[in-house]
Amino acid sequence: MLCGEFVSQLHWTERPVERRACASEDARARDDNQRLRRRERIRRTAVANEVLRFYGLRVQDWAGRKYILRDGKGRSALVQDLGSLWPEARKLAGRPLDPLDPALHAALLGDPTVNGG
Amino acid sequence: MTGFLGSGKTTLLSRVLSAPSLENTAVIVNEFGKVGLDHHLLRRADEKTVLLDHGCVCCTTREDLVSALLELLNEEGRGETPALDRVVVETSGLADPAPILFTVFSHPVLQHHYRVDLVIVTVDAVNGELHLDRNPESTKQVAAADVIVLTKTDVAKASVTGPLRARLRNVNPSAGIIDAPFGEVNPEELLRPAAGWSPSETRDGFSHGANGSVPFPETLAVGDEEARHTSRTHSTSLTFDGPVDWAAFGTWFSMLLHARGEDVLRVKGLLDVGEAGPVLLNGVQHVVHPPDHLEEWPDEDRQTRVVFITRGIRSEELLDSLKAFRSIIGAGPRLLEANVPT
Repeated sequence: MLCGEFVSQLHWTERPVERRACASEDARARDDNQRLRRRERIRRTAVANEVLRFYGLRVQDWAGRKYILRDGKGRSALVQDLGSLWPEARKLAGRPLDPLDPALHAALLGDPTVNGG
Repeated sequence: MTGFLGSGKTTLLSRVLSAPSLENTAVIVNEFGKVGLDHHLLRRADEKTVLLDHGCVCCTTREDLVSALLELLNEEGRGETPALDRVVVETSGLADPAPILFTVFSHPVLQHHYRVDLVIVTVDAVNGELHLDRNPESTKQVAAADVIVLTKTDVAKASVTGPLRARLRNVNPSAGIIDAPFGEVNPEELLRPAAGWSPSETRDGFSHGANGSVPFPETLAVGDEEARHTSRTHSTSLTFDGPVDWAAFGTWFSMLLHARGEDVLRVKGLLDVGEAGPVLLNGVQHVVHPPDHLEEWPDEDRQTRVVFITRGIRSEELLDSLKAFRSIIGAGPRLLEANVPT
């Protein structure tokens, strides 16, 4: 989201950086914060991909405003934020994405025998 | 302000509202009760919830509250009421506070004019144990509390209030507990500013964990059928061995809420994100307060401290998950305190 753009609800995961990006008074600080905001989007995308890989999914930033989620079969979905990413990922993966799942833990810890499919 | 029927909400409210400092506080009540509330800014709203398409119970909008809160803004704008300092919403006994928070956070107008300060839960010192035993809803209310007011302590025996206090502390280590004998409570103490988290709460809530890791309670031993019972409430206080990456923590926690949100009764804490001040995290089920990046830490303790109150999710499960996410989050979890209230 950019300052002034109408989004009725900012997802809580984006709040700390967005708040600062929009609250800055001088132009230079605003530029810095916009850079920070871009960096955080890149970081969020990278982090989500580490998890989504286990489910055969991938997410990309979409014009700095949304995210595009894809599976290996050419299906995709446009999502606003992490709040809407997980439900869409569940649809594409055909199963819930649970961070408490021991199989996901094994994959994240680098166990080569684990394959989420 | 919520709490079970007969737990003394209205009595407490009528006492508190007579304080001169609360003159510009509006009150929205579910019904004009028997104890006549006499206040010039009293409004009534009949609880009316609108379920959204994804159908979870906590993410519902209270249309009655939207109307009442908008009307208060309009009256203020027209100069019909003085500038409001605060609004107290009194709920019916069974009400889940999550939809109230959701309503304020998600409404396009309300989110810019109101912020949720405190969830106050009244617990009757005489019948509190009974309510907690019989009604899962009362455990949810206690978990959602920022402040628990123990009412009727004037008539309850110390042999009853002692264990009740310990039990409330076990369910929700992050909430402050205030006694209200005869419905009397210091309004300043009740409505302490800097809501969501205060240093004294922090010290209170984490006093046991200050010296390092605490072993899991005996009741969590493998093979213990009781501990596996899915309806058990667990509270887990933890820290990290270094600053956490906010984007990564947010990814993990949003995923947890997606998968198990209805079993995450509460999360509250301060996260060290490697900057001068922490990020304040506060959520009730799926409903997360917009996290604020604080300018500075509220006290000397500058390490992350987060409490998770869960239903059926054991402390080990949370820790194992955070350990697996360690390389992504940038720091590993360390248990401060784990409780399985009986």
